[in-house]
Amino acid sequence: MVMGETQQTPRDSLSLELRRGALVLAVLVELRHEEYGYSLKKLLSDKGLEIDEGTLYPLLRRLESQGLLKSAWRVEDGRPRRYYQASVQGEKLAKELAAEWRALAAVIGKLVG
Amino acid sequence: MDLINRYAHEVGQYLPHRMRADVEAELRSLLTDSVEERARAEGVPAGDELAAKVLREFGTPKDVAARYAPEPQYLIGPRLYPAYRTAVRIMLPVLAAVVLVLVVVGQFRHPGEPPSVVPFIRATGSFLWSALVNLGIMTLVFALVERSMRRSEANGKAWDPSSLPQVDDPDRISYFGRIFSLYIIAALALLFNFFPDWVAVYVFRNSDGNVYPLLTPAFSRYLPLINTWWLLAFVLNLAVLRQGRWTRPTRWADFGLEVGWASILLLIVLGPPVFRYDDLTKVIAQWFLIFSAINACVLLYRLLRRRPAEPWARA
Repeated sequence: MVMGETQQTPRDSLSLELRRGALVLAVLVELRHEEYGYSLKKLLSDKGLEIDEGTLYPLLRRLESQGLLKSAWRVEDGRPRRYYQASVQGEKLAKELAAEWRALAAVIGKLVG
Repeated sequence: MDLINRYAHEVGQYLPHRMRADVEAELRSLLTDSVEERARAEGVPAGDELAAKVLREFGTPKDVAARYAPEPQYLIGPRLYPAYRTAVRIMLPVLAAVVLVLVVVGQFRHPGEPPSVVPFIRATGSFLWSALVNLGIMTLVFALVERSMRRSEANGKAWDPSSLPQVDDPDRISYFGRIFSLYIIAALALLFNFFPDWVAVYVFRNSDGNVYPLLTPAFSRYLPLINTWWLLAFVLNLAVLRQGRWTRPTRWADFGLEVGWASILLLIVLGPPVFRYDDLTKVIAQWFLIFSAINACVLLYRLLRRRPAEPWARA
């Protein structure tokens, strides 16, 4: 499942819209521990959620500007990397969104059978 | 990797200056990670060929920058663009007509001379120059309004359905009219403060043209007063645009400004001549004064009148 790629058909764009909200939840949950952009992408990918990099990285900046993530530059192996982690506000929101996700999944599960 | 550096730099060119260096550095780091990881996975060298493949998947610099941009990157948005287009479509023919009238008047003033294309060439130059200046002012005014409205919305409260205007709402504003007023104020302020010599009668003849300035030195006495009025009128128009409708305080302010304008005109009519051809201009100023006084009365009436009762209330 690839999220965030430029889509062409109505089916693809509707599918992308359906999954867009889940992306924020996935990022906030995975960033309970500090990660940099590429390691986060790998982590999500290893768990079965492929995310287009061109979508993920700007999303990290947006969540940071909303105070949901905090970030810090660090140099490792001679390469500067920006590490992100959920802020207190971000963790709180992740819990709320997770509860909503479970409730929604249960309802939709009943509807689609 | 040179290609990644060039790519990150290009993305930065589309971003606001304050976030440019940061995003460029982050992109360099992320893309280098990505290329190296892909090289390991595919067993190929991490060169420009692989970098090009990764960048193609990442998206064009413009698209990527748009995803990073904190706010829309345009001067005049889709909401104001139709009004902007209408304003430009009105302004250009009006300017052309004014220039044409000046040329024709110039020809009539020298009936003995053979007809020539020189005045028309000069007039075309004048038109192009005026069109460019006015287009610039108009674009600036619209951009200012766009920015102001966007900020107002960003800081605004949640939308309240009861704020919907009545079907026949006397407080509804004309966005086009308000913005056009802003443009006129900006254009006049620029003209009278920085290019007072342009307020003149232009007479084009075959080989050269004569310019007869209209303003006298006495005009500068009134300029601070007029500038203050323009500034207040500009602020009021902007405030009305931000609110999206007339309110009681802005109506009172509008009435106050109209009374202020009538007072300035009265001072001009009673004082020393501010234009050459004093007799004619005083007559025109008197007409303006009468119009302004009537307008002030109309504004006061709108402020004080009682709204008609709704049909069910009358019943």
